[in-house]
Amino acid sequence: MAQQPLSSAVPPTDIYGGDEVSALVLDPGYCSTRAGWAGEDVPKSILPSFYGHIGSTNTNLFGDEYLIPREGLEVRNYMNRDSVVEDWDVAPKFWENMLVKRLQPERPTAPSKNGLNDDPKKDGEGDVSMDGAAEEAAAEAQEEQEKALQENPLLVTEAPWNTSKAREKTTEVIMETWGCPAFWLSRTPTLSAFAAGKATALVIDVGGSNTNVTAVHDGMVLKRSIQRSPVGGLWLSSQIRSMFEHAEPKVALTPTYLIENKTPVDALAPAQARLRKFPFSIADSFRRYEEERVLTEFKESVVEVWRGNPGPYRAQGTEDFIKTQPGRVFEMPDGYNQMWREQRYRASEGMFDESVGYPLPEAERITKEQTIPSLIRTALEAVDVDLRPNLLGNVVVTGATSLINGFNDRLNNELIGMYPGVKIKIHAAGLTSERRFGAWVGGSILSSLGTFHQMWISRKEYEENGPGIVEKRCK
Amino acid sequence: MKQRLSAPRSNLKGLAREVQSLGGDNPVAIVPEVSSFKKRRLANRKPAARWDLAPFRNSARDDPSLVLRHWRRRDGQHGLQQQQQQQQQQHGANGDASAQPTTEQNGAQVKQEGDSVVPSVETPKPDEIEDSAFAKFNVRPSIPHYTDEQYKTHLKSDDWSKEETDYLMELVTDYDVRWPLIWDRYEWNPPATNGVADADGDESKAVVPKQEARSMEDLKLRYYEITAKMMAAQKPIHVMSQAEFELHEMMLHFNAQQEKARKDFALNALKRSREEAREEESLLLEVKRILARSERFNEERRELYNRLDFPQSEQDISSIKTSQGLQNLLQQLMAADKNKKRRSLMGADSAHPANAAAAVAAAQAQAQAQAQAQAQESSRRESTVASTGATSTPTGGKKKGNQQAERPKLTEKEEQVYGVSHHDRLTSGPIFRSEKINKMFTHKSNQQQQRINNVLLELDIPPKLVMPTVATTQQFEQLFAAVNALLDARKVADKLDTELKLEHAKKAEREAKESSNQAEEDPAQDKSDPDMTVTKSDESASKEGNAEAGTTSEAQETMEPAADSHGEEPGTQDPVEGKEAAIEESSGGPHKRSASVLSTTSDKSAKRQKK
Repeated sequence: MAQQPLSSAVPPTDIYGGDEVSALVLDPGYCSTRAGWAGEDVPKSILPSFYGHIGSTNTNLFGDEYLIPREGLEVRNYMNRDSVVEDWDVAPKFWENMLVKRLQPERPTAPSKNGLNDDPKKDGEGDVSMDGAAEEAAAEAQEEQEKALQENPLLVTEAPWNTSKAREKTTEVIMETWGCPAFWLSRTPTLSAFAAGKATALVIDVGGSNTNVTAVHDGMVLKRSIQRSPVGGLWLSSQIRSMFEHAEPKVALTPTYLIENKTPVDALAPAQARLRKFPFSIADSFRRYEEERVLTEFKESVVEVWRGNPGPYRAQGTEDFIKTQPGRVFEMPDGYNQMWREQRYRASEGMFDESVGYPLPEAERITKEQTIPSLIRTALEAVDVDLRPNLLGNVVVTGATSLINGFNDRLNNELIGMYPGVKIKIHAAGLTSERRFGAWVGGSILSSLGTFHQMWISRKEYEENGPGIVEKRCK
Repeated sequence: MKQRLSAPRSNLKGLAREVQSLGGDNPVAIVPEVSSFKKRRLANRKPAARWDLAPFRNSARDDPSLVLRHWRRRDGQHGLQQQQQQQQQQHGANGDASAQPTTEQNGAQVKQEGDSVVPSVETPKPDEIEDSAFAKFNVRPSIPHYTDEQYKTHLKSDDWSKEETDYLMELVTDYDVRWPLIWDRYEWNPPATNGVADADGDESKAVVPKQEARSMEDLKLRYYEITAKMMAAQKPIHVMSQAEFELHEMMLHFNAQQEKARKDFALNALKRSREEAREEESLLLEVKRILARSERFNEERRELYNRLDFPQSEQDISSIKTSQGLQNLLQQLMAADKNKKRRSLMGADSAHPANAAAAVAAAQAQAQAQAQAQAQESSRRESTVASTGATSTPTGGKKKGNQQAERPKLTEKEEQVYGVSHHDRLTSGPIFRSEKINKMFTHKSNQQQQRINNVLLELDIPPKLVMPTVATTQQFEQLFAAVNALLDARKVADKLDTELKLEHAKKAEREAKESSNQAEEDPAQDKSDPDMTVTKSDESASKEGNAEAGTTSEAQETMEPAADSHGEEPGTQDPVEGKEAAIEESSGGPHKRSASVLSTTSDKSAKRQKK
């Protein structure tokens, strides 16, 4: 009793400005959707934005665990390649699945309503009418659902180029569906900058379907600086596909689900594997999704970015030098394996130099303006000149594709080459999770800040102004 | 629990206690065996802290009705009370609770109950919702507002429509005067071109022909102009505080052109190539090096100058600050130059006094105004110490003459009035005036001192002044000089007498025997130090007789007339005339003088300089 511990009744507001109000953060992207509680350092729930759709029963299956070979299963994505929500029928359900089913604890039905305590004499035959009960239960579930997020303000992220229609729609969904008391829409670059602890930064987000370069000033996106290009993880996958095509011998991309068994083979020897047979046809979308998983592994373990500047294909002699670099062996799911040497650099080189890299179909080819250095240059040119040195001193790199080996070194070299007189400092989170979920982490920080609670758009404000309020407030 | 903590050693029993006592004052460290796992913590555990999901609102919100909830630790007092109540209930239930905790709890309880009366009243009412602690951080910059009328009277601009100005002010408010953002989001669509009123940048707007884009400087210029004018309109400029006025001025004089030029420059700096950047860097390094070196250089140079120790000008330079003064100075310098040349060439000087007089007159005219100040200054510096002054010795006077011509001159009367006096060189520290006279004595040889004393005795003047005031010392010096001259003259006269006698004797001897030749002596000695030779000859005149007569007579003959004329002068001087004579001497005196006098005086002056 004598030594009373320091009272924690008073929150230490002077130390950090945190004030957690059990807000939720939802960060939808093309490749995956992240959701979790504000104030945590990783999203609790991460699902691929791809979902299974079974045409025959018109059911949607959300979550990786449902994406298995199944009759009639089609893999779809509720987002489009621009990271903007496309399918507004599915998106609310998808989000609900994440926010309610996966984040909120299961609630038992109230004893008065679970049917077990009903007076059996209600029905003449001592039998509860199932139809009515089911209907009732459905209505109640609906009600329950509506109340599901009654206590949780919700912060949703969006791509900086999100259209105002999509924003209003998002607002509507949030306010009408789950009964959130308040919400906020925030652009991903801002949040990524916050995650790096910066209010002013040049955010380079190399994501799955997109790469965007955006200047953030004082916690707000500078709209003119927003630059984006398809150079991202999926584009890199198509480079690798092309690389497999052009390899000698050609490398077959067989996804894991097709392999029943395999025997080890020597390098470059043809694969010896027995493929599984399915009594039903597998949708192309599913196969593609599965292939993408293999390619992701390939990207993670083999692909590397040439660190030096100029790139290996711009300077004479470097190509030969690269050939002497140690290669990496990759074994495909079917057992085929090969040492990848200079190819693994070439696949990623296209991100920095449009003229090299593997040939791609017309639709996926990029122009010079879409390479990362050009994006940065254009973004900076759209910003007031006074800000540029500051931005270059606060470059925040985020996005999962930026985790490719050597990416940051190369980026640094490129920047130094482009702006020789300026001090350049790249800030990239060391933790993989922070890099992958940069925007989510930023959102988590933001919505657990005490000073942020004055920003939320409350239900009352929404009801007074309609969904248009989001354009006025979330600038 | 506490007992165990406070006296763990006394609890030891048997062999353990013996071992413990072996260590004496420095007990052997024995790690006591812990018999139970984390017992202490269990015993110490207090009931878990209670946390409430407390609602709060944020008054900084536009819609303060939003109530969010966060977990708050329940108020300490309140929690304790509850806990005690619970414990009491427990005690009632199982009476065989261990004695120790009970007493402790009771003690605390008694203490708590004293306090708990007041806080129980203070428990927050459920309908009172606390305000967020962060609401106070919401600050907004003050942005001027204007009415339509004010706009019409003050703010009209050819370049800006009222609507666009409104739009600008709205953006400024929205983005809290963060210019990069304002400029970034500035999308003004003139409303006339399409009828849609809301400007929320959707695709349909893209058709609207855009006005030429405004630069950030344009926006800033307009905003500052409005703010400054509104400031002035609300509070007239003359009522503004210093800070307000400065702000007003700064905003009013915002130079958009300069800002643009600066940004262009910054842009260029950013666009430098690697080579240029490197070059610039190396140049900067070079500059830094040069600067560092020049600093060292300057330092060394300054040190050198200090070592050379140029004479500090103690004169007032304000007289030559004006162009006229400069001209005067130039004239003086030229005149002095001319004098030097002439003197060296012909040894005659006629132009100098006139010129000097003219210069003095000109300088005086200027100096009249400053006379007071100068007098004060100079009197502070030099008046109190009396000296032999410029007038005492001819050479000193000559030097002084040049200097005096340069400085704004006071007439003698004025000098007397202001107590100005001139000195050759002042030794540091106080000196006695009488000391000066003593010095004059001590310079002389004993014989001479005696002779001077004799003369003074004759004149009935004590050799030491009773009251050495400035005037008396001055007079005494003059007298002293006169006595010296007199003695010199007498010496020469004596010498001549003896020589005459000698010659007579020689004549008689020659007549007696024609063949005798005189021995040769070195005549140089006489010239270099006539005083000595004279005294010597005085002494040896009778003994040596005609030994050296031939050569000395020749030397003496040349100086005779000059010595005579000079010797007579001081003798006849009365005190007032003496001064004039000295001035005359200072200007034209020296070259008239014969070699012997010149050499003596120069000797004297040299000695004095040394002092």
